[in-house]
Amino acid sequence: MEQGIRIEGLSKRYGEGDTAVDALKEVNMSIAPGEVVGLVGPSGSGKTTLLKCLGAVIEPTRGRMTLGGEVIYDGEQGGWKTKDLRALRRDRIGFIFQAPYLIPFLDVTDNVALLPMLAGRPNGASRARALELLQALDVAHRARAQPSELSGGEQQRVSIARALANQPPVILADEPTAPLDSERALAVVRILNQMASQYQTAIIVVTHDEKIIPTFKRIYHIRDGRTVEEVGEGRGIS
Amino acid sequence: MISLAGRDILHSWGKFVLTGMGLGLLIGATLTMAGVYRGMVDDARVLLTNSGADIWVVQKDTQGPYAEASSIRDDAYRGVLGLPGVAQAASVTYLTMQVRHGDTDERAMVVGFEPGQPGEPAYLLAGRRLLRGHYEAIADVKTGFRLGERIRIRRHDYEVVGLTRRMVSSGGDPMVFIPLKDAQEAQFLKDNDAIVSDRARTAGNPALNRPGVPGLLDAVNAAQTINHSVNAVLVKVGAGATAEAVAQDIRRWKHLQAYTREQMEEILIAKLIATSAKQIGMFLVILTIVSAAIVAFIIYTMTLGKIREIAVLKLIGTRNRTIAGMILQQAMGLGLIGFVVGKISATLWAPAFPKYVLLETADAMRAFVIVMVVCALASTLAIRAALKVDPATAIGG
Amino acid sequence: MKLSINRRTAFILAGAALLAAFVWVLARSGPLAPVRVTVTQVVRADPAPMLFGIGVVEARRSYLVGPTGAGRVRQVAVDVGDVVRAGQLLAEMDPVDLDQRLASTVAAAARARNAVDTAAAQLADSSARREVAAANARRYDDLGGKGFVSSSVTEGKAQELKSAEAQLAGAEAALAGARQDLIRFNAERDGAQQQRANLRLLAPADGLVTARDAEPGSTVVAGQAVLRLVAADSLWVKLRLDQNRSAGLQVGLPAEIVLRSRPGQVLAGKVARIELLSDSVTEERIAQVSFDTPPRDVSVGEMAEITLRLPGVKQALVLPNAALRQRGGKTGVWVQAADKLSFVAVRAGISGADGSVQILDGLKEGDAVIVHSERDLVEDSRIKIVSALGGS
Repeated sequence: MEQGIRIEGLSKRYGEGDTAVDALKEVNMSIAPGEVVGLVGPSGSGKTTLLKCLGAVIEPTRGRMTLGGEVIYDGEQGGWKTKDLRALRRDRIGFIFQAPYLIPFLDVTDNVALLPMLAGRPNGASRARALELLQALDVAHRARAQPSELSGGEQQRVSIARALANQPPVILADEPTAPLDSERALAVVRILNQMASQYQTAIIVVTHDEKIIPTFKRIYHIRDGRTVEEVGEGRGIS
Repeated sequence: MISLAGRDILHSWGKFVLTGMGLGLLIGATLTMAGVYRGMVDDARVLLTNSGADIWVVQKDTQGPYAEASSIRDDAYRGVLGLPGVAQAASVTYLTMQVRHGDTDERAMVVGFEPGQPGEPAYLLAGRRLLRGHYEAIADVKTGFRLGERIRIRRHDYEVVGLTRRMVSSGGDPMVFIPLKDAQEAQFLKDNDAIVSDRARTAGNPALNRPGVPGLLDAVNAAQTINHSVNAVLVKVGAGATAEAVAQDIRRWKHLQAYTREQMEEILIAKLIATSAKQIGMFLVILTIVSAAIVAFIIYTMTLGKIREIAVLKLIGTRNRTIAGMILQQAMGLGLIGFVVGKISATLWAPAFPKYVLLETADAMRAFVIVMVVCALASTLAIRAALKVDPATAIGG
Repeated sequence: MKLSINRRTAFILAGAALLAAFVWVLARSGPLAPVRVTVTQVVRADPAPMLFGIGVVEARRSYLVGPTGAGRVRQVAVDVGDVVRAGQLLAEMDPVDLDQRLASTVAAAARARNAVDTAAAQLADSSARREVAAANARRYDDLGGKGFVSSSVTEGKAQELKSAEAQLAGAEAALAGARQDLIRFNAERDGAQQQRANLRLLAPADGLVTARDAEPGSTVVAGQAVLRLVAADSLWVKLRLDQNRSAGLQVGLPAEIVLRSRPGQVLAGKVARIELLSDSVTEERIAQVSFDTPPRDVSVGEMAEITLRLPGVKQALVLPNAALRQRGGKTGVWVQAADKLSFVAVRAGISGADGSVQILDGLKEGDAVIVHSERDLVEDSRIKIVSALGGS
């Protein structure tokens, strides 16, 4: 699997000496483009640390990460391959948060178009891309609305559109369904699946939402900093 | 790329404009303060300009007539008039006193002048110049007197026949112009009780009331009531003569002090209002610091309210430059609104001040630059806070 | 969608309003602001000048009544305000011993008259004796010539005659002396009587008592006034006029007199006299203005305001005097023509009582001239013409 994301032997140690804590121990993961995997585990198991490492906001201690067939981090060969982690996050990684975290002073279109704009694409093209995504996510009718005027589900869909804006090979979703009831939560998962296959993006969903865990085909359990891969029920969304 | 700052301002423009207005009123107060100082300086200049004199001749070793009491004989002007280079010379008196107007007393500087000579108001706002040699007055409009009204100075009633403007003493008292002779009388005229008791005192003095010398007492009494003093002589220099040369002549030969326009300005501005100027300068500094602090706090608070958004922005790849630019632009925008509101409000309320407030364009320009610089500096605090935000806080709560 | 557009519109409107206010403020104040002025036109009118001065009510004739020598006042017969007639006794000085001296001189005069009588009688006696002696001498001379008597007898008789003649001469001289004495004592008596009469202070003319400066018992020196009189019908006003505004002053000018005690009442009068000497200290000319009908109850020393109306000029070019400005040592006016200001030097003539001033040259009828202005003007001042400026 050349595309998607692959993690090999990723470790993260906080602190040094006697007080050192190993948050991640030799984690291995591999997700193909278009695939949606779950990442579950109890609190303190290291899943947030893993997400932050994947999201290039903290630096792992050891291991290797490959994104879209390109090594972005190699603990043996000097760590991050690029100095500009912001550009990396902007262009290669999409984020979906527990709350939508839309920029309140930008309207829906510009919230989505902001990423292409930050990447230096013209405003017109960025907005066209945003509208396209909003249409795909069925919120195009709210394109000129302010985020505060949207419902929770609409906001979450806009945030999914934003994550997709720069067509990243991977999207990290951090508890995307936590504030939603089961019907809406399942709807979000359906959208994620749909988007993953439509845009050939690998999506990692961090969750402990019992309602949606059964929908994953593949689930990584993380416990004490180690991952255990298991095949999920994968019954999908009916 | 869209302007994040602009979008943010647009999003919460009500709050933003209100904050800017609040800041603007503060800036307006600062501008007014500067205007008060400029007004004092300008009042002094106008006082000198409108008196139409090139040289002020006053009592030896005094800095009269505005800054210090000065008394010279009222025939001194004749001697001055005889000097070469002198085109016009006229006596004037200045005295701050209460002018009775209806049932109230107005504090005013009563100026005695010779019509048609230096010391006369240069222009009128309404009415006419003095026609009679007595009992007519031209008042500064700030006195509140109206044309045709009768005012009382000491013992005589005067009719207000003309109004002028911007004629105030260095203390800010509006001027009332009356004929020199009336002013001389008013300046030294005592109230009736004092005159009567003075006469009794003189009559009780055996040296002045000698039985063998009839008429001596009357002569003494008469001598006591006559006044031949004025406060200054205003001199206009003729063509071809320099004020300094004429002033030197006067100092040397007339045993009087003579000040040229520049020296008078120095006395009025550097000496008379120096303390007030420092006072105002101090106030300006404090107001500037307060304004800066307020801008800093406002921008800082606004930024703190957006910490989460900033973290998200950073996480999704916004550059520090963009974020700092956003905050800086907001601070500048706030400063701009504040400046505009401040300038407007200062201009609107300046005429309501009892003393003249001069808002100079150069001051406004200076204030604009200072406001912008202060806003930029004030925003650094917020920018530092914003740059310290860790994008990781957006993940995992 | 709609809301967003509204928000943007509102923002733009607010910004535009702020900007408009800012521009307005800039235009209204500071160097860009126009100077508000009032404008009038040069017109033809009949300016009539006026002279104004203040004066004091005085009496043309006033009298100080006092003794010619030092003395004590015995009696004051009149009081302030009394009307007196010429010759009326006003006061009397204490004569001290003058009465006694008068009695003594009267007695001496009487005695002198007696002495004259005695001398006259003695003269008659001597005369009679001389005649007898003469007759005897003549008879004895005849007899002696005829030789009836001895020459010694004749010589004796002749000697008697000579003696009688000498006695007669003596008696004549004594009478002349006595007569001289009588004249002298009479004169002394008359003098004493005069002095006595001089202690009685009489009114020199009809008048009004204005002051009573000494009371009975007080001592006054020669020349000091006991009483002051004025001639009540001779009140006039001593008018003081500024020298530089006294042109046209002449005797006979009608005057309006306003007394300080009755400011609402204008009394008619005329200039009665102009003094040749003016007051060089106060730089005032002095003239006397008499009342056409002297007012009653006017007090001497009261202040009066006097307005003299001079004959004016007909159909002269006039301007309000507020239009005149001084600029660069020249008197002139600001003329507004074709939206431009220019300073035109003018020559001013007489000033009218209404505040107008005659323009002798420099302007023509119909020129628009700035009268009042908010500020001093310069050539490139931007002006805004209004009908009236504040305060009027």
